[in-house]
Amino acid sequence: MNEIAERFAPQGVGSVFLYTHEAHPGEYYPHLTSLAQKFDHARALRDVLGVARPILLDALDGACHRAYGSMPNMSWIFNRGGVPIYKSDWSDAASIANALEYQLDVLERRRGKERLAPFHVERLDYRTSDRQGFADGLARSGPKAVREFAEAGL
Amino acid sequence: MDTSEITTAYNYDSFTPEKVLPWLNFAHSPALGQPAPDFPLWRLDGAPTSLSEVWSQHRLTVVEFGSFT
Repeated sequence: MNEIAERFAPQGVGSVFLYTHEAHPGEYYPHLTSLAQKFDHARALRDVLGVARPILLDALDGACHRAYGSMPNMSWIFNRGGVPIYKSDWSDAASIANALEYQLDVLERRRGKERLAPFHVERLDYRTSDRQGFADGLARSGPKAVREFAEAGL
Repeated sequence: MDTSEITTAYNYDSFTPEKVLPWLNFAHSPALGQPAPDFPLWRLDGAPTSLSEVWSQHRLTVVEFGSFT
Protein backbone atom coordinates (compact mmCIF):
# COMPACT_ATOMS: atom_id res chain seq x y z
CA MET A 1 0.00 0.00 0.00
CA ASN A 2 2.93 2.35 0.64
CA GLU A 3 4.13 1.70 -2.91
CA ILE A 4 0.71 2.50 -4.34
CA ALA A 5 0.66 5.76 -2.41
CA GLU A 6 4.05 6.78 -3.81
CA ARG A 7 3.20 5.72 -7.35
CA PHE A 8 -0.03 7.70 -7.58
CA ALA A 9 0.90 10.77 -5.52
CA PRO A 10 2.26 12.67 -8.58
CA GLN A 11 -1.19 12.34 -10.14
CA GLY A 12 -2.89 14.08 -7.24
CA VAL A 13 -3.85 11.00 -5.25
CA GLY A 14 -3.62 11.23 -1.47
CA SER A 15 -3.33 8.15 0.72
CA VAL A 16 -3.90 7.89 4.46
CA PHE A 17 -4.20 5.15 7.05
CA LEU A 18 -7.09 5.54 9.47
CA TYR A 19 -6.45 3.88 12.84
CA THR A 20 -9.51 2.08 14.20
CA HIS A 21 -9.45 -0.45 17.06
CA GLU A 22 -7.44 -3.54 17.86
CA ALA A 23 -8.97 -6.35 15.82
CA HIS A 24 -6.93 -8.97 17.66
CA PRO A 25 -6.02 -7.61 21.10
CA GLY A 26 -3.20 -9.41 22.83
CA GLU A 27 -0.79 -9.07 25.73
CA TYR A 28 1.53 -6.72 23.82
CA TYR A 29 -1.16 -4.66 22.09
CA PRO A 30 -4.29 -4.95 24.26
CA HIS A 31 -7.72 -3.48 23.59
CA LEU A 32 -7.89 0.30 23.64
CA THR A 33 -9.08 2.12 26.74
CA SER A 34 -7.81 5.64 26.07
CA LEU A 35 -6.98 7.95 23.19
CA ALA A 36 -3.40 8.22 24.49
CA GLN A 37 -3.01 4.46 24.15
CA LYS A 38 -4.47 4.66 20.66
CA PHE A 39 -1.79 7.21 19.72
CA ASP A 40 0.88 4.83 21.08
CA HIS A 41 -0.41 1.92 19.01
CA ALA A 42 -0.65 4.12 15.91
CA ARG A 43 2.99 5.15 16.35
CA ALA A 44 3.89 1.46 16.54
CA LEU A 45 2.08 0.95 13.26
CA ARG A 46 4.36 3.58 11.77
CA ASP A 47 7.58 2.54 13.49
CA VAL A 48 7.25 -1.24 13.68
CA LEU A 49 5.17 -2.07 10.62
CA GLY A 50 6.52 0.77 8.48
CA VAL A 51 3.32 2.45 7.40
CA ALA A 52 4.72 5.51 5.63
CA ARG A 53 1.42 7.17 4.75
CA PRO A 54 -0.06 9.78 7.07
CA ILE A 55 -1.79 8.00 9.93
CA LEU A 56 -5.02 9.51 11.24
CA LEU A 57 -6.89 8.41 14.35
CA ASP A 58 -10.60 7.83 14.61
CA ALA A 59 -12.37 8.70 17.87
CA LEU A 60 -12.07 6.13 20.65
CA ASP A 61 -15.67 5.04 20.09
CA GLY A 62 -14.89 4.36 16.41
CA ALA A 63 -17.58 6.73 15.11
CA CYS A 64 -16.07 6.98 11.63
CA HIS A 65 -15.08 3.32 11.37
CA ARG A 66 -18.53 2.17 12.49
CA ALA A 67 -20.31 4.49 10.05
CA TYR A 68 -18.32 3.02 7.17
CA GLY A 69 -19.00 -0.60 8.06
CA SER A 70 -16.39 -1.53 10.70
CA MET A 71 -14.46 -3.96 8.51
CA PRO A 72 -11.00 -4.58 10.00
CA ASN A 73 -8.97 -3.66 6.91
CA MET A 74 -11.24 -2.05 4.35
CA SER A 75 -10.34 0.67 1.86
CA TRP A 76 -12.31 3.52 0.36
CA ILE A 77 -11.50 6.02 -2.39
CA PHE A 78 -13.10 9.48 -2.24
CA ASN A 79 -13.16 12.24 -4.79
CA ARG A 80 -12.42 15.83 -3.81
CA GLY A 81 -16.11 16.44 -3.11
CA GLY A 82 -16.30 13.67 -0.52
CA VAL A 83 -18.13 11.22 -2.76
CA PRO A 84 -16.89 7.64 -2.44
CA ILE A 85 -16.17 6.11 -5.83
CA TYR A 86 -14.69 2.78 -4.63
CA LYS A 87 -15.08 0.71 -1.50
CA SER A 88 -13.63 -2.67 -0.70
CA ASP A 89 -14.19 -4.78 2.40
CA TRP A 90 -10.51 -5.71 2.31
CA SER A 91 -7.42 -3.67 1.34
CA ASP A 92 -5.57 -4.97 -1.68
CA ALA A 93 -2.97 -2.88 -3.47
CA ALA A 94 -3.65 -4.37 -6.93
CA SER A 95 -7.39 -3.77 -6.64
CA ILE A 96 -6.86 -0.19 -5.48
CA ALA A 97 -4.31 0.52 -8.21
CA ASN A 98 -6.75 -0.82 -10.80
CA ALA A 99 -9.52 1.45 -9.45
CA LEU A 100 -7.24 4.49 -9.34
CA GLU A 101 -6.11 4.02 -12.93
CA TYR A 102 -9.72 3.80 -14.06
CA GLN A 103 -10.88 6.80 -12.01
CA LEU A 104 -7.94 8.98 -13.05
CA ASP A 105 -8.84 8.22 -16.64
CA VAL A 106 -12.42 9.29 -15.89
CA LEU A 107 -11.10 12.61 -14.58
CA GLU A 108 -9.09 13.11 -17.78
CA ARG A 109 -12.12 12.29 -19.94
CA ARG A 110 -14.10 14.89 -18.00
CA ARG A 111 -11.35 17.44 -18.57
CA GLY A 112 -11.72 16.65 -22.26
CA LYS A 113 -15.41 17.63 -22.02
CA GLU A 114 -16.62 14.10 -22.64
CA ARG A 115 -20.17 13.64 -21.38
CA LEU A 116 -20.16 10.86 -18.77
CA ALA A 117 -22.93 9.17 -16.79
CA PRO A 118 -22.16 7.11 -13.67
CA PHE A 119 -23.32 3.56 -13.18
CA HIS A 120 -22.78 0.96 -10.48
CA VAL A 121 -20.76 -2.21 -10.95
CA GLU A 122 -20.10 -5.08 -8.57
CA ARG A 123 -16.92 -7.07 -8.98
CA LEU A 124 -15.27 -9.87 -7.03
CA ASP A 125 -11.56 -9.19 -6.65
CA TYR A 126 -8.93 -11.59 -5.33
CA ARG A 127 -6.06 -11.06 -2.94
CA THR A 128 -3.16 -13.27 -1.97
CA SER A 129 -4.03 -15.21 1.17
CA ASP A 130 -0.92 -14.64 3.26
CA ARG A 131 -1.48 -17.10 6.11
CA GLN A 132 2.06 -16.81 7.45
CA GLY A 133 1.88 -13.02 7.43
CA PHE A 134 -1.43 -13.12 9.24
CA ALA A 135 -0.04 -15.56 11.83
CA ASP A 136 2.98 -13.31 12.32
CA GLY A 137 0.62 -10.38 12.92
CA LEU A 138 -1.30 -12.28 15.58
CA ALA A 139 1.97 -13.26 17.26
CA ARG A 140 3.06 -9.60 17.35
CA SER A 141 -0.06 -8.85 19.38
CA GLY A 142 0.65 -11.72 21.76
CA PRO A 143 -0.19 -15.37 22.54
CA LYS A 144 -3.70 -14.36 23.62
CA ALA A 145 -4.45 -13.08 20.11
CA VAL A 146 -3.14 -16.31 18.56
CA ARG A 147 -5.19 -18.47 20.92
CA GLU A 148 -8.41 -16.48 20.56
CA PHE A 149 -8.31 -16.48 16.78
CA ALA A 150 -7.83 -20.26 16.75
CA GLU A 151 -10.71 -20.72 19.18
CA ALA A 152 -13.04 -18.32 17.36
CA GLY A 153 -13.37 -20.59 14.35
CA LEU A 154 -13.85 -17.69 11.96
CA MET B 1 -26.07 1.74 24.31
CA ASP B 2 -24.68 5.09 25.45
CA THR B 3 -21.33 6.41 24.23
CA SER B 4 -19.41 4.82 27.09
CA GLU B 5 -20.95 1.42 26.46
CA ILE B 6 -20.32 1.71 22.72
CA THR B 7 -16.68 2.63 23.35
CA THR B 8 -16.18 -0.40 25.59
CA ALA B 9 -17.94 -2.82 23.26
CA TYR B 10 -16.27 -1.47 20.12
CA ASN B 11 -12.84 -1.82 21.76
CA TYR B 12 -13.54 -5.44 22.68
CA ASP B 13 -11.03 -7.07 25.02
CA SER B 14 -11.03 -10.46 23.33
CA PHE B 15 -11.59 -11.79 19.81
CA THR B 16 -14.76 -13.85 20.01
CA PRO B 17 -17.55 -14.12 17.41
CA GLU B 18 -20.02 -12.64 19.90
CA LYS B 19 -17.90 -9.51 20.37
CA VAL B 20 -16.59 -9.10 16.82
CA LEU B 21 -19.30 -10.01 14.34
CA PRO B 22 -22.00 -7.52 15.41
CA TRP B 23 -19.76 -4.63 14.32
CA LEU B 24 -19.20 -5.87 10.76
CA ASN B 25 -21.75 -3.99 8.68
CA PHE B 26 -20.19 -3.32 5.29
CA ALA B 27 -23.41 -4.16 3.45
CA HIS B 28 -25.04 -1.08 4.96
CA SER B 29 -22.08 1.27 4.61
CA PRO B 30 -22.42 4.58 2.72
CA ALA B 31 -23.35 4.25 -0.94
CA LEU B 32 -20.99 5.00 -3.78
CA GLY B 33 -21.82 8.13 -5.73
CA GLN B 34 -23.47 9.91 -2.80
CA PRO B 35 -21.85 12.42 -0.44
CA ALA B 36 -20.30 10.48 2.43
CA PRO B 37 -20.51 11.34 6.14
CA ASP B 38 -17.73 13.42 7.64
CA PHE B 39 -16.06 12.74 10.98
CA PRO B 40 -13.47 14.41 13.20
CA LEU B 41 -10.08 12.71 13.20
CA TRP B 42 -6.66 13.34 14.72
CA ARG B 43 -3.25 13.46 13.14
CA LEU B 44 -0.43 11.52 14.76
CA ASP B 45 0.96 14.74 16.24
CA GLY B 46 -2.36 15.30 18.01
CA ALA B 47 -3.65 18.01 15.67
CA PRO B 48 -7.36 17.76 14.93
CA THR B 49 -8.51 17.22 11.37
CA SER B 50 -11.45 15.60 9.65
CA LEU B 51 -12.22 13.19 6.87
CA SER B 52 -13.49 16.07 4.72
CA GLU B 53 -10.27 18.02 5.25
CA VAL B 54 -8.36 14.99 4.02
CA TRP B 55 -10.45 14.22 0.94
CA SER B 56 -10.65 17.88 -0.11
CA GLN B 57 -6.86 18.12 -0.50
CA HIS B 58 -6.48 15.70 -3.42
CA ARG B 59 -8.12 14.76 -6.70
CA LEU B 60 -8.66 11.31 -5.19
CA THR B 61 -7.93 10.03 -1.69
CA VAL B 62 -7.37 6.42 -0.63
CA VAL B 63 -8.37 5.74 2.96
CA GLU B 64 -7.24 2.42 4.41
CA PHE B 65 -8.85 1.49 7.73
CA GLY B 66 -7.01 -0.74 10.15
CA SER B 67 -4.84 -1.12 13.22
CA PHE B 68 -1.62 -2.66 14.48
CA THR B 69 -3.40 -5.93 15.18
